[in-house]
Amino acid sequence: MTPKNFLSLAPRLVVGLVLLYAGFLKAAGPAAEFAAALAAYHLFPSVLLSTLALAIPYVEMWVGLFVLAGLYTRYAASAAAALFCAFLLVLLSALLRGIDLASCGCFGAETLSPRWTVMMDTVLLSLSLWIRRQSKSSPPLSLDRTLN
Amino acid sequence: MTLPRLLAASFLILAPVAAIQGIKQTSWGPILAAPAARQTGDPKAKVTIVEYSDFQCPSCAHIRPTVEQFLTLYKGKVRLIYKYYPLTRVHKNAMPAAHAAECAARQNHFWPYHDRLFETQMSWAPLLDPATSFMAIAQGTHLDMPKFQSCYADPAPLAVVEQDAKEAADRAVSATPTFFVGDERLVGQVFATDGARTIERAIRQ
Repeated sequence: MTPKNFLSLAPRLVVGLVLLYAGFLKAAGPAAEFAAALAAYHLFPSVLLSTLALAIPYVEMWVGLFVLAGLYTRYAASAAAALFCAFLLVLLSALLRGIDLASCGCFGAETLSPRWTVMMDTVLLSLSLWIRRQSKSSPPLSLDRTLN
Repeated sequence: MTLPRLLAASFLILAPVAAIQGIKQTSWGPILAAPAARQTGDPKAKVTIVEYSDFQCPSCAHIRPTVEQFLTLYKGKVRLIYKYYPLTRVHKNAMPAAHAAECAARQNHFWPYHDRLFETQMSWAPLLDPATSFMAIAQGTHLDMPKFQSCYADPAPLAVVEQDAKEAADRAVSATPTFFVGDERLVGQVFATDGARTIERAIRQ
C-alpha cells in the first residue's frame, strides 16, 4: 500500500469503524437504555426520546458504512463531521450546565467519561473534515473509485 | 447516479437493518418470583412493576419520590417488586447494602430498611466499611439485632442478591434504576417522564 493510499484509507477506517461500533452497540441493545442516556442530558423533549434513541444508532451505522466503503465519500464525511459536531455541542452544553454524566451513552452499556468523549469527538471531527477535503476526487480504495 | 452505485448504496443502507433485526434480542429471560417481603402494593394488582435497583446509585435514590407517587396514584392497580442489582464495578458498598437489605427482608422489614438506605445513602456510600451504618439503620428500623448481625455475617443471603443480578443481566439490564412495567422497559429518569403513561396503558390493556 502506498503512503497516499494509507493516508486516504486510515482516517476512513477510524471514523467508519467508530461510528459503526457505536451505532451497532446501541442498536443491538434495548432502545430504552439509550433513551435514558439521552434523557440525562436534559436537552431533548421527552416525547422525542424514544424516536431519537431508535434513529441515531442507525444513522451512525449508515454514515460509518458509507465512509468505510468510500461510497459518496464526500457527502458521508460531511455527514460524519455534522454528527461529531452535534455530539460535541450536546456534550459541551451538558458540561457547561454542570450536569454530572456518569457516561456519555455513546457506546451503549460501555462507559466512557464525557471529558474523554469530547477529546475523541474532536479528533474524529478533524478526521472527518480531512476525509472530506481528500475526497474531492474519488479516493483510492473506495467504491467511489471502483464504480466510477 | 448510476445503477451500480444505487445498488451499492441500497446494500449499505439495508445491511445494518437486516443485521440488527437478525441479532437483536427481543425476548428476555424470565422475571423470577420475589419474596412477598420485597413486594409492595396490591398482590392481585393488574400491573406489576419490577425495579432493578442499586442502593448506592444516586439516580435510584432520586427516583424514589416518583415511585412512591405512582404507588399512591395507582393504588390497588399496581404492585412493585424490588430486585437487587448492585453495580459492584462502580459502587463498592452496593453489595454490602443489598446484603443488609436482604437481612431486613428476612425479618419482613425490607421496605423501611430500603427507605432508610436511600435516605442515608450519602453518609454510608463513601465509607470504607459501611457495616456500622447498616447496623444503625437496622436498630432504627426496629430489627431483631442479634438476628440481623448473624445474617449480615453469613454470606448465604448474598446468593439471593446474586440471583437477582443474574436475572437482570439475562434481561439485558445494564443501568440502574431499570423498571419493567409489564414488558415495557423504562430506564432511569425516563420512568419519571413516561412512567405514568406506560402504567395507564398497561392498566387499560
